[in-house]
Amino acid sequence: MTSPILASGLVRTFGSGDDEVRAVDGVDLEVHAGEVFGFLGPNGAGKSTTVRMLTTLLRPTGGSARVAGFDVVTEADSVRRNIGVALQDAAIDPLMTGEELLRLQAVLYGLPRSEHTSRANELLERVGLSSAGSRRVGTYSGGMRRRLDLALSLIHEPSVLFLDEPTTGLDPMSRMALWDEIRRLNREGTTVLLTTQYLEEADQLADRVAIIDNGRIVREGAPEQLKAGVGSPTLFVRVATDQEASASDVLARFGELRPTAEGMLGVGLNGGAGEVSAVVRALDERGIAVDHLELSAPSLDDVFAEATGHRLEGAESPAGA
Amino acid sequence: MTATLPSPRSGGLAAANGLALRSLRNIRRLPSAFIPALLMPVVQVISFSGTYAGVTDIPGFPTDRSINWYLPLAVTMGASFAGLGTGFAMIRDLESGFYDRLRMAPTSRRALLLGPFLAAWTRAMIAVVLVSLIGLALGARPVGNPATPLLMFVAALGMATVGTGWGLGLAYRFRDMRAAAIMQLTLFLGLFLTDAQTPIEIIDGWLEPVATWNPLTRILHLARQGFVEGFDPRDTIIGVVVMVVLGIGSVAFALTGLARLDD
Repeated sequence: MTSPILASGLVRTFGSGDDEVRAVDGVDLEVHAGEVFGFLGPNGAGKSTTVRMLTTLLRPTGGSARVAGFDVVTEADSVRRNIGVALQDAAIDPLMTGEELLRLQAVLYGLPRSEHTSRANELLERVGLSSAGSRRVGTYSGGMRRRLDLALSLIHEPSVLFLDEPTTGLDPMSRMALWDEIRRLNREGTTVLLTTQYLEEADQLADRVAIIDNGRIVREGAPEQLKAGVGSPTLFVRVATDQEASASDVLARFGELRPTAEGMLGVGLNGGAGEVSAVVRALDERGIAVDHLELSAPSLDDVFAEATGHRLEGAESPAGA
Repeated sequence: MTATLPSPRSGGLAAANGLALRSLRNIRRLPSAFIPALLMPVVQVISFSGTYAGVTDIPGFPTDRSINWYLPLAVTMGASFAGLGTGFAMIRDLESGFYDRLRMAPTSRRALLLGPFLAAWTRAMIAVVLVSLIGLALGARPVGNPATPLLMFVAALGMATVGTGWGLGLAYRFRDMRAAAIMQLTLFLGLFLTDAQTPIEIIDGWLEPVATWNPLTRILHLARQGFVEGFDPRDTIIGVVVMVVLGIGSVAFALTGLARLDD
């Protein structure tokens, strides 16, 4: 069976000459049937551009991609018939009601007229918007718009679903509700490609993740496998600015220094969590006062940092934890 | 779990109708986007026919009713601006990202284009009927063959088509409000660099050759036949040919613009 999403050497440039920007720079991607695939990276890494190419909105400059078995350039219509897409900014006409939008979507996807209303009602119920269906979308909250956007993408029961940062800007409750719906869709057999800048989201939802930075995929695999690859836990230490250099010397004795947020030092403890007390003693012996100490099990952020040399921007937990 | 869709490019006409209905529904929900295009020709027919009432005293002026001269101008201008209105709406859809949703649907690109055209023709007819009724109330009187005034409606449809194609094509190319300024400026210039105010025979200086060769002059002549000179087969044929050529050109301009959105 062919993989529902297959990209090879995908390239997209914008501008030309000195102004040329290589937004996507040779992305190879294979998403297996029935999995949730997380596409993780900071803003501007190339996630949305890749999704726009895979969903036929943007023509690739180079490389090729097949979605649901069809070429995204030469068989764009067939691709469109088989995918559902919820883009980053829930692009919904605020003057229309939820029901009207769903019925228009049904028309655009060629569903039989007799099914328009029933399908619209069914989807409104599924995303918990039955009571708001007759209201104009301009009156919806951000979470309601996202749910409607998801419902719109499901009108034709697609086999492949693209969700571009579906929970960005949502409150924790709305995020959890959307995560549950994504899991439910996946259980029903839908293959999901999910872009996110939230580590926890990728960790919670994705069977496999690809980490993208500067238009290139720098790591790919199951989250657990990627985290295991980093190996040791990271000890984060904050000290006074004038003691950072000597603290770094001390920390380097216990393992490889790792990228951290500004004002913080990080070290991968070769000897595991048991070395924390030794680190504290060593710092104390050098007269270094520790302001903050935190031990972190390997995370996708560590994977990202190890692969790119910097931490993921906005990598705070999406649930607000 | 994929549903079976009726055909590879399903329901093109139904999709176009759906898009047109959405556009027409928004007239009621966002009247501020439509009323200016409706009021402009109304104000124009009222003010021009009053302000320039004395124009009929100029020797060689082809009618003794100024409103008969200005009504077809107001009607064609109203129709073309109804067309541009779909261009403005397209800019809003492109900027908000809503148009991406339409482009991702397995609907033919022609249907995506036909929808705005259907809406524009309907909007244009609303403007044309209103302006015509006001013109008749202000004293406009058809001349010659009773069917000839219908040519004004034909010309209005043609101008609505040109305005829509031009507006959509610019919207697709610029994808922001810069397109709106260009749409309005070019159409205003195009219409005023004709014999909009006075007949070519009376115009002097640089405007005379410009108005003579401006293709929109021929469409205006087509529209004016029922109110100024009566039916003229030559003017009719030339007007229709110019209208069809401009219409096809503007549709092609819109279609190529739509294709550019993928780049």
